[in-house]
Amino acid sequence: MKTKYIQHLYRRIGFGILPSTLGKLSKKSKKEVIKNLFTSSKNVTPLEVDTSEIKDIFSNMMRGSKLDPETRRKIQKISRKKQIELNVAWIERLTNSSEILREKMTLFWANHFVCEDNSITYIQQFNNTLRKHALGDFRDFVNAVSKEAAMTKYLNTKQNKKQKPNENFARELMELFTLGVGHYTEEDIKESARAFTGYSHNLRGEFVFKKRQHDESDKTFFGKTGNFSGKEIIDIILEEKQCAKYICEKIYRYFVNDTADDNLVSAMTDVFYKDYNIENLMRFMLMSDWFYDDKNIGSKIKSPIEFLVGLKTLVPTEFKNPKQLLYIQKLLGQTLLNPPNVAGWKGGKNWIDSNTIVLRLKLPSLLLNGAYISKVKDGQDDVQMEAKKELFKKKYGKRFKTEVNWKYFNTQFKNVKINEFQNHVLACEVNEAAQQYLKALDKVSKQEYCIQLMSLPEYQMC
Amino acid sequence: MERRKFLKQSSLASSLFFVPSFVRAFQEVASSKLGYKRLVIIQLSGGNDGLNTVIPYRNDLYYKERPTLGIAKKDIIKLNDEVGLHASLEPLKKLYDKGYLSIINNVGYPNPVRSHFRSMDIWQTATDSNEYSQSGWVGRYLDNYGKQPHSAIEVDESLSLAMKGENFNAIATQDAKALYNLSKDPYFKNIHNNQNNAHLNEHNLGYLYKSMIAAESSAKYIFETSKTVTSFQEYPNNKFGKHLNTTAQFINSGLQTKVFYTSLGGFDTHVNQLNTQKRLLGQYANGVEAFIKDLKDNDTFKDTLILTFSEFGRRVKQNASVGTDHGTANNIFVIGENLKKQGFYNDMASLSDLDDNGDLKFEIDFRTIYATVLDKWLEVDDKKVLNKSFKQLDFI
Repeated sequence: MKTKYIQHLYRRIGFGILPSTLGKLSKKSKKEVIKNLFTSSKNVTPLEVDTSEIKDIFSNMMRGSKLDPETRRKIQKISRKKQIELNVAWIERLTNSSEILREKMTLFWANHFVCEDNSITYIQQFNNTLRKHALGDFRDFVNAVSKEAAMTKYLNTKQNKKQKPNENFARELMELFTLGVGHYTEEDIKESARAFTGYSHNLRGEFVFKKRQHDESDKTFFGKTGNFSGKEIIDIILEEKQCAKYICEKIYRYFVNDTADDNLVSAMTDVFYKDYNIENLMRFMLMSDWFYDDKNIGSKIKSPIEFLVGLKTLVPTEFKNPKQLLYIQKLLGQTLLNPPNVAGWKGGKNWIDSNTIVLRLKLPSLLLNGAYISKVKDGQDDVQMEAKKELFKKKYGKRFKTEVNWKYFNTQFKNVKINEFQNHVLACEVNEAAQQYLKALDKVSKQEYCIQLMSLPEYQMC
Repeated sequence: MERRKFLKQSSLASSLFFVPSFVRAFQEVASSKLGYKRLVIIQLSGGNDGLNTVIPYRNDLYYKERPTLGIAKKDIIKLNDEVGLHASLEPLKKLYDKGYLSIINNVGYPNPVRSHFRSMDIWQTATDSNEYSQSGWVGRYLDNYGKQPHSAIEVDESLSLAMKGENFNAIATQDAKALYNLSKDPYFKNIHNNQNNAHLNEHNLGYLYKSMIAAESSAKYIFETSKTVTSFQEYPNNKFGKHLNTTAQFINSGLQTKVFYTSLGGFDTHVNQLNTQKRLLGQYANGVEAFIKDLKDNDTFKDTLILTFSEFGRRVKQNASVGTDHGTANNIFVIGENLKKQGFYNDMASLSDLDDNGDLKFEIDFRTIYATVLDKWLEVDDKKVLNKSFKQLDFI
């Protein structure tokens, strides 16, 4: 497979690729590379932080008893601390996972089945449900999500009772999770909400079906009448080809191009509608020639997480203070586990505002290089370079406590020719003006060159 | 140069990016002299307890439901025979007496949500409670009427959803110098200095270049304009005070910004509410007092309208921890010199006619307030911004 295509593939299904892996893969055929991708994502490795403290409290409680306010507050306090740990662990996972396709899909689904919860045990369980089904059967996936404790809380299925239905979940199930706005009626929402009555969970976060709160009477949904269960409602929704189309379009926009191509989405829909198998759909997409079209390569704006994890992939960077890593996510506009609302992040151009563009351009030098971007003209040298970096570290080092492994970077890129280096860092061509400016600058070292490239708008593309 | 290329370039140049800031500033002088109306939004995050803020001290139900949380009559700043303010709000009493304050009671929305995140989201996006939006109401104002990123400024470190539009976003800064420093590395100037427009027109990458140039321009403009004035006003020494100080500096320097947004957090008082709320309301009121003085000294108060809201009020009945749980409707404050209805805009909420949760039933939809502010103060088409037509109120 051509290196250019492998790089494109790995920027989309992962966060970039280093020369050593690239070298190995370039000797293989496209079919082998992609097969390899799925094989290494066969496993599901749950993402877990230690929540035994909370689990102990739960197991010491009498069955059916309620939490007293003091214990509740204690759990909330532990939860807040653990959510930070989970966030950091997730970023770490995205950076270092061998199940990279599964992880990227998990990230994708987290912005599809959007959910948040202040309980660490519930949200961790939800996160792992996303991971488990990320490449599986979409039908099972929707059912699993509908029964997750965090989701029944987030969209009020818990409050959805026979006597007093709550339509929140039913509405978003169709509007955001399966069909898209305009493909159902208000009546469909009312009727299907009744099918999800009785969905609840216990303290440990296990699904509980409260039979007495469930509405057993007939519901009329998409022209069919019967005593439908929640599962049957999901079956009826999936019979609509629009559901397959809605998901395929979203996957196309996320993995291929911001602008959907109707013909290609339609081809994907035909594949997906057959069995709703996500792995088959992804294989079809990644094997297609159009996935590697020039107009798709380097055409997307990285999400903040793609930006951060991509940076960490290229130059291994450890954040010494977890709160700083969260703070940077906040400033960049995407904090994992903390979506704006159930519609999720809009993505694309919406990631970029005056603050985030300025920060994105400056962040690589701030985090990796003492805020220094080399501007030394060819043939001259900046004798003060190291002093400037030191001064910055002394003044502001506390705000950016990172440990940067340039040694690893240098080993990785040792044999990469300087005129090929750009293709390893950037996904698209550098514009004329910037290219000329870069040419006039001295190639002090690969490290300095890398920082220069990472400080370009072009580095925001993937 | 080819004619077509020239035309393209000159039309690009006129679209703000390459106009030096002093030229732009000069162009705008006319409008600023003629009264440049600004809106300042203050968000009290966490759900401020409205019933202990504006207090119905003659209502027995109030003391019955809040035996240890109700505020004693003697500690209340009386506004009339029925209603008074929390003791921390002395500065607001002065505004009330001058006719600079309008209190709108019982503001909320249908089918209220008691989750902080969601309810704040509803207030910021101005949607129905069963709708979700990825853009905020000030953001959509910018989509339609914004000129530059600094047309709206959030005085904070990052943008709230309220300030993000579908295609256009506000700018956030609590420190104009820091933002400017972050953006001014000569490296960035050099990579776009001789930019050809073909590149700028390129889909996503072009958008990044345009955003970069606009951000550099706004950061420089905000810094260089705002540093021309020095404030002699003293502000309370806390974060909120600093943010208001910064906001006043932006306003008084004549920055071409229509909307400012800032927030004060910590109002989620489930436990031992009395001290927390006392402290926070004090920060709020003292900050606002200094802010208004600062604006008055610079003759900019007359063109400034201040709107204060919180994502919900709290339950009428106190809880077991001398605090209150999440509720629904709440009061909002409108402060300015040009109020049509000074004092109380409407009556206090009923404490006997509550919903199933024991919460107030709202009377005024908050979006009618937004609609009024958009139409009467910012003088734009509120329907374009709110995507719906709302009744107008009569407070400005």
